[in-house]
Amino acid sequence: MELIVGLVLATIISWLNFVIVDTFLGLPEAPGVKGAETVGYSIKNRKGDLAGGFFQGNILCSPDASAGTLIASIGVYILGIQGGLIAALLVYIGNRLCADPGYAGTTGALTMTLLIFIFSFIGITPEMFICGMVIAIFTIQGIHHPTSSRLIGKIAKSFGRYTKYE
Amino acid sequence: MISIGANGFQLFVNYMVAILVAIALVLALKLPLLPEKPIRFSWTKSALFPTPVFAMGILAIFYSLNVFWIYNGLLIAIIVGVFSAVFVKYLFDYVFPSPQGGSK
Repeated sequence: MELIVGLVLATIISWLNFVIVDTFLGLPEAPGVKGAETVGYSIKNRKGDLAGGFFQGNILCSPDASAGTLIASIGVYILGIQGGLIAALLVYIGNRLCADPGYAGTTGALTMTLLIFIFSFIGITPEMFICGMVIAIFTIQGIHHPTSSRLIGKIAKSFGRYTKYE
Repeated sequence: MISIGANGFQLFVNYMVAILVAIALVLALKLPLLPEKPIRFSWTKSALFPTPVFAMGILAIFYSLNVFWIYNGLLIAIIVGVFSAVFVKYLFDYVFPSPQGGSK
């Protein structure tokens, strides 16, 4: 597949994978670790959305589906499908080391391994997913926190996962 | 297409065997099938999480090191399934102790 087309598709797939898994498994609802709470209220103070802030804090402070997606892509690139499964185990251990109670990282790594396998049939390679995931996480964490947190807040509301914190 | 080894179907069967053995044994050791609701706290051990993650991950490590032993890796799959179940039931809290304190 053409490199640029593959990259764009891989970015969209990675973005959808980590945002849907993370939101569905409750990242915008509450901070899983202390740092996520600090990040959430800091983003809220800068006219962001609190649920989106918790989401961003959670993916910053401990391995969640964003990390799972990236590490699964790297695992598949190095070792094939086995690498994705090893990545899921490593992300789970990482979650425990960070004292994060979430399921999102492991789930995200497993769903991403499956997605990479499925989309390999139309020619999207694991290295496109590695680069695509970096671009995808940049759109959430790297450009403008208040704006992206409001977008995440809207997605969280549509999933019924909006935070009850104030 | 991504290579999944010399015999992809056999590997798929082996992973399924490892997962099923692990889940069956964990249920026999009287852990619940599902985590407590709402599903937000992954420290609660159950048959569906994290037992299959350990079974798949450890088996994948063996296969990626090209350790298949006999019956195309099937025996390793069964052994890993049994080990994962026993690990989650008895050794888990010792290896991964629950953190004290943390956020509310």
